[in-house]
Amino acid sequence: MSAVPAVVLRDVTKDFFAGVRGVRLRALDRLSLEIKPGEIFGLLGPNGSGKSTSIKIVLGFLAPTAGTAEIQGVSSARPEARASVGYLPESPDFYRFLSGRELVTFYARLSGLHGARLKTRVETAIETVDMSFAADRKVGSYSKGMLQRIGLAQAMVHDPEILILDEPTAGVDPMAAASIVKLLLLLKARGKTIVITSHLLAEMDELCDRVAILHQGRVLAQGRPAELTSRHGTSALRVGPLIESEREELDRWLLSRGHATTISETIRPRIGELFADQIAAATDEKKSR
Amino acid sequence: MTIDPLPCVSRVCVVARNTAREALRQRLFQFIGLLGILLICGIQGLRGLNFGTSELKFIADFGFGAIAFFGSMLAIVATSQLFFSEIEHRTVLTLLARPIHRAEFVAGKFLGSLALSACFCALLTGLLMAVLWFRETALMRTTADAFDHGRAVDYVAVLGAGFAQWLKLAILTALTSFVASYARTQLFTTAAGFAILAVCHLQFMVQASAHSAAPVYLRSAVTALSVLFPNFQLFDFSESIAAGDGIAWFAIGRLTIFTAGYAIFTCSLAGIAFRRREF
Repeated sequence: MSAVPAVVLRDVTKDFFAGVRGVRLRALDRLSLEIKPGEIFGLLGPNGSGKSTSIKIVLGFLAPTAGTAEIQGVSSARPEARASVGYLPESPDFYRFLSGRELVTFYARLSGLHGARLKTRVETAIETVDMSFAADRKVGSYSKGMLQRIGLAQAMVHDPEILILDEPTAGVDPMAAASIVKLLLLLKARGKTIVITSHLLAEMDELCDRVAILHQGRVLAQGRPAELTSRHGTSALRVGPLIESEREELDRWLLSRGHATTISETIRPRIGELFADQIAAATDEKKSR
Repeated sequence: MTIDPLPCVSRVCVVARNTAREALRQRLFQFIGLLGILLICGIQGLRGLNFGTSELKFIADFGFGAIAFFGSMLAIVATSQLFFSEIEHRTVLTLLARPIHRAEFVAGKFLGSLALSACFCALLTGLLMAVLWFRETALMRTTADAFDHGRAVDYVAVLGAGFAQWLKLAILTALTSFVASYARTQLFTTAAGFAILAVCHLQFMVQASAHSAAPVYLRSAVTALSVLFPNFQLFDFSESIAAGDGIAWFAIGRLTIFTAGYAIFTCSLAGIAFRRREF
């Protein structure tokens, strides 16, 4: 694996000037990040924290007011830096007059693919995102989840080493979100570097090797999710059903160690898990009929 | 996977082809094209408005008028619409996230719009030639004496005049692309496009009056203006066709070279302006 970082932001500041009087708004304030090859890196933060601005600077859509941004050691201002990048913007909209297949082919051509390899890559990308059934339909007729999936196909059609995904699960139903997460894990297993932003923190916890929490254009915390949460978390012990006497004994033991806590919490499945189970069961039932 | 770096020309062609495809599938542009077609096909029904000119001259004049009017409308609206639809729908983000230069994007959009104008001019010029041919054939039957020396209309010249109209649209497209490269809204770009069209059509009048009686500084200003905004009257050959004078091919050649140089220069400026744009 290459020693060159996949993406680097060094002391990046970005100012916007708004209104007639040119009031300065600082979107990024001396932001520094280094994303290693092969990792899934999450950018977390509330709206306006600078996640999308960081991504736009990496991709050269915005010029930093100060600092530098690089992709695999090449300045992000240079177009060739983007040859190894696939990008999915937040709430993507594509050429509505094209079919899904035409759309992915267009982006593949722009990335320099041609001939038999182009055809193979287009079909592979469409199959990977499970969109073969609608590949010949016009993009204008796609649902939000389908747009997101065809967006992923265009982002990875040229088999880039780095994928930059801005809110890839925003606005899609939980099933589609789960399939996107599964796909990202598959891509990670293939050694891809993935930079991802999301509001869904539970999803990021599960997915990311490292995360950076941004607030007002600065990094509040950076590291592995487990490391970051262990500093603030509580311990949980999962055991089978306890009888009353056992529970009382455990309570006494915990109290003797200075832990004023209760252990009698009922563990319920998360609503996302329940939803997925219900839908899967209904789908299986329909198939079996 | 290693990807061969695409030559610049191929990337421009990919963008241009997509732009042209988008334009050809848009109802608004199909409607403008249809209006032009209907007008040329229906010229014979408007013969009463010929103001005493010969019928074939009227058909040629009216036909080229329709090509110029609808062609200009198409060039301005299509260029600004195709440019801003990329920004408004944010498809420009996924496009520029590829290894493509901003100038290549601008060139691709320009060539795509130009291809649309080419289709329009070719279709309407072809139709006009057909209308002229059928009318002339009918007139030859009824008034054979007037056609002692064979056909009066030089059809190759009609083709040349159609080509000159396309050259004019190329300049208009290049100038609209330049405005679009730095403008913030489609409305401003479209309005600026029509203003440019008016200036280019009327600048010969200003030039004529300035050269006759104006002070030196005003004449210099008018000369500078004529360099920035070409005289569109130079691209109109319908008069000479209608008069049966044929066409000055040397003038067409000169206009072609001028248009190519002008479009390259204007698109380069547009590329520079667009490079500084943030999304």
